[in-house]
Amino acid sequence: MATCLSGNTQGCAVARLSMLGAIGTHGPTVSPAVMLVLYASFFCLAIWLLVKPHRTEEKWLWPLTLLVAIAAVSRIAMGFIPNVMPVTILAVMVGSKFGIQRGFAFAILVTLASNSVLGHGWWSVFQILGWGSVAALASVVKVHDEEGRLLMTNLAFASLWSVPVFSIVVSLSIIDSGMSAIEFGLYLVNGLLFDVLHFLGNLFFAMWFGHSFERLLLMNGPHHQLVQQESEHVSTL
Amino acid sequence: MRIIGILLLLLLILPIVEASAETSWTHEFEAGYITTKPLIVDDTVYARTSGLWTGNEQPVVAAFDVFTGEKLWSFASQTARQNDMTPLLYVDSGQGSCGVWEDLLIVGWVDGKITAHSPKNGSIVWENQTGDNFRGITGQMALETDRVVVPTRTGLSTFCLANGIELLRVETESIGWRNGVTVTEAGYVFGDEAGNLHTVTRNGNLSSTMLGEGKIRHAPLETRHGLFVHLQTDEGSSMYLNGSILGKMGHSPAMPLMHENRIYAATSDEWISILCGENTCAIESTEPFHSNGELSLRVVESGLEVWAPSNTPEGGWGVFNQTALMRMEHTSFDTYGTAAPGFSSGIVAIGNDAGTLQVTNLGFVSENTTQSESGTFEVFLRATILLMFVFTIVFLARKDWSTASKFGSAFLLVVAIVVVPDLSVKVAEQTSPRYDVEWDESWPDEWQETQVVVFEIDGITYAIGGLEPQKNVYDLTVIACQELDIEPQIEQQYLGPYLVSFNGFAGDGWEFMLDGQRSPVGMADAILDDTSIVEWRPA
Repeated sequence: MATCLSGNTQGCAVARLSMLGAIGTHGPTVSPAVMLVLYASFFCLAIWLLVKPHRTEEKWLWPLTLLVAIAAVSRIAMGFIPNVMPVTILAVMVGSKFGIQRGFAFAILVTLASNSVLGHGWWSVFQILGWGSVAALASVVKVHDEEGRLLMTNLAFASLWSVPVFSIVVSLSIIDSGMSAIEFGLYLVNGLLFDVLHFLGNLFFAMWFGHSFERLLLMNGPHHQLVQQESEHVSTL
Repeated sequence: MRIIGILLLLLLILPIVEASAETSWTHEFEAGYITTKPLIVDDTVYARTSGLWTGNEQPVVAAFDVFTGEKLWSFASQTARQNDMTPLLYVDSGQGSCGVWEDLLIVGWVDGKITAHSPKNGSIVWENQTGDNFRGITGQMALETDRVVVPTRTGLSTFCLANGIELLRVETESIGWRNGVTVTEAGYVFGDEAGNLHTVTRNGNLSSTMLGEGKIRHAPLETRHGLFVHLQTDEGSSMYLNGSILGKMGHSPAMPLMHENRIYAATSDEWISILCGENTCAIESTEPFHSNGELSLRVVESGLEVWAPSNTPEGGWGVFNQTALMRMEHTSFDTYGTAAPGFSSGIVAIGNDAGTLQVTNLGFVSENTTQSESGTFEVFLRATILLMFVFTIVFLARKDWSTASKFGSAFLLVVAIVVVPDLSVKVAEQTSPRYDVEWDESWPDEWQETQVVVFEIDGITYAIGGLEPQKNVYDLTVIACQELDIEPQIEQQYLGPYLVSFNGFAGDGWEFMLDGQRSPVGMADAILDDTSIVEWRPA
């Protein structure tokens, strides 16, 4: 889907849209003023979610800021490879570590920041909801154990389940009144190849950079957790 | 390990880095502007300077090695003292009724002199002096068989390429400036500062037509609908096609050029794209832009680029596709400019009023080198994929699950990145519902074996066939709309043209079927056969 987010249905060489021309473009055309209000609202929501008191005592500010920057920059830098970016796996880790509240704020900030370069539109709303949903689900289906340690098996599994969650939510943006459930299903099916790419990208970032991201998440955390993580990080190379 | 991961990521972006690898050099001339397009021939770039030479400076023509910037030779005029604005003309060796000649670089000078140089060392092979020694030669010259056709301030001359002997001289009763000449079947056509269009037959007969109040400062373009002239007027400019006004535009028109069925023009106010259809030419799109000099074309993999120098203090060069501005190109010495860039395979040579020549090698020196580099990258990519696979197997065998999963994920990702985009398009082509394209019996027989376009707009079907064959759906659609008097609204987007509406009907969007099948690519990239049928319908 990421390949189609430039707004050109007729010029987009993506299977989904070429199969279902009746679907139209990327949702309704929204005036710049409305979009501005929408983004401002989302930004305010993100700030509120960040400053709102949270039951845990995680030191989240700097790790979250840093991860938002990494996610946004890498998404922009890797924009030429469809659906391969570390944003989804970071949403999983942030959601699991800091909970739904910070996870959703992460999704908003990454989307607004990266789309300021890649292009804003109706789809931005659904990308926020997509990554927000992934973070929300990760706050329940955690990739950390009770002591806060990263579980690589769970993270690998999250690479998989996060894809349909994100994909379905983002695809909701193309639904209009004339679309049947079958058409929507077909639309999803036709994007499966790119979902596979999304999954493999997630898996790659999880396997290679999962521990690095985890260290960033813990950068302001209790020292014993860092030591614990470091001692577990064993490599044969 | 993380370093290996980062290296793998770098591997993924290697093609992008490789594509953007480029080298460039600059040469700053001691004085003067560059107001004409640098010429690139083989491994040499030729450029000339122009200016008002009030002191010891002199206008020069110089040759440089394309790759290193080394100056090969330089020739300075001892007599030209005004603006030298005649484009350089390179002539391949040949023979004709007046003799045999080697490769030549022909230079027209503002003092009325014409010199033919050896491209190798700049030595003068022959020279001649026209009768106009003040603002003498300022327009674009042309070649015809064994002679060079030279418009001058007060007329036109032809010179033998072998020895420079004047073969023909015709005087007009008015003066010309940048009055480029075009060789047509009827003879040599050029304009003047009074709005006259002169035609000189090959035996020297002159006929003149007053086109309008204004100045003709470019070589007229010969289209299948007649001559195209962009006349500079006091109010702005007027574009004429076969003597009739095509449109009134901004001030100080640039020198238009033609490519296939399109004419590109510019003024101080806009850049203009004109599409020539079956019956006439019509303005298809304009973009706000300020360009008053030369324009040039560059054919790249993704299509055609039209480069226009921005004649503003900010300078730069606008790069357009067929209908819209795609990007601006800038240098460190941007300022006013009227010289078009010169192009050859992978090389761009640009100059402007700063008198600086910049030659950029975009990294693909020659087709063979490109193929070789591309082949090297392919081998490297395959070797890397194979290595990742081997590492995966090795670490699996050693039951090092962590490392095996890393290499395994990298292996699968790289394979997927290579395979998925093409596979996706192929799947789309295979699974796209195909509709039978039926010949409508109501269509005229003349449309058989021609391209046909059908529009379904607001419940009404419009069809047209028998058009001149076009390359892609975009061009065919635009021409069909012209013929059927349908008004299309087309937006130029980053990925190409996007059709918004026909006659104001936008609906939920529009889609086209090409020979009964949805296209996996956009209309500008959808290539037509000579008998293709294109159907536009609401999405």
